[in-house]
Amino acid sequence: MHTRVLFFGKLKELAGGAEQSIEIGSGATIADLFERFANQAPALASFRSSVVASRNQEFAPWSTVLEPGDEIAFLPPVSGG
Amino acid sequence: MTLSAHDDLILLVREPIGAGALVKHVRLADDGAVVTFDGCVRNQSHGRKTLYLEYEAYESMAFEKMREIAASLHTLFAIDSVAIAHRLGRLEIGETSVFIAVSAPHRKAAFEACRHAIDTLKKTVPIWKKEFFEDGAVWADGELPPVPAATPAAKPAS
Repeated sequence: MHTRVLFFGKLKELAGGAEQSIEIGSGATIADLFERFANQAPALASFRSSVVASRNQEFAPWSTVLEPGDEIAFLPPVSGG
Repeated sequence: MTLSAHDDLILLVREPIGAGALVKHVRLADDGAVVTFDGCVRNQSHGRKTLYLEYEAYESMAFEKMREIAASLHTLFAIDSVAIAHRLGRLEIGETSVFIAVSAPHRKAAFEACRHAIDTLKKTVPIWKKEFFEDGAVWADGELPPVPAATPAAKPAS
């Protein structure tokens, strides 16, 4: 299953790109997806507790199961305003 | 420019925010008060001299979250109309990064709603600020948005 993944702010720099796509097995969760990237970019792993995920532009828990065509984003603490 | 329910005005812009137009947009004939919040770029952060800021957003989601904030104000407070604008890209010292205007028949609701809007925006809207100093740049500390609990259909996190 092909999944589009977006990184923002500091995470974009740690992941080595703002937008990436990845092939991942069906039944995988957002947590599984993050782990795949963290394995490739260990600096990401240490930020896991300061990351929230979104699925199709809604905040989503780590246990969310991916669906084909999902747009997943990993977001660091927000600092707008 | 996009109008949502209640004729609220939600903007993500790369040009200077036109505060006057936002105030004009929310000020209706039956309003007795317009309260505004003007968030602007400071010349220092934690004692370090700031040169400029850069804001980036997950634009489609940020827009939707700002729209949700405006909609929630109508259910929480006796207000009339809301305008929320956030600027993106490079901002110089003194420029407006966010501007909120809320109109209401009476001032109390307008004050409370405006305060609620900026507090919620800073916690839930996916926008990030990078601070540029003379000796480097850092992503500003922020707040981790609340995430809904897992639904029974989801399997446990691995």
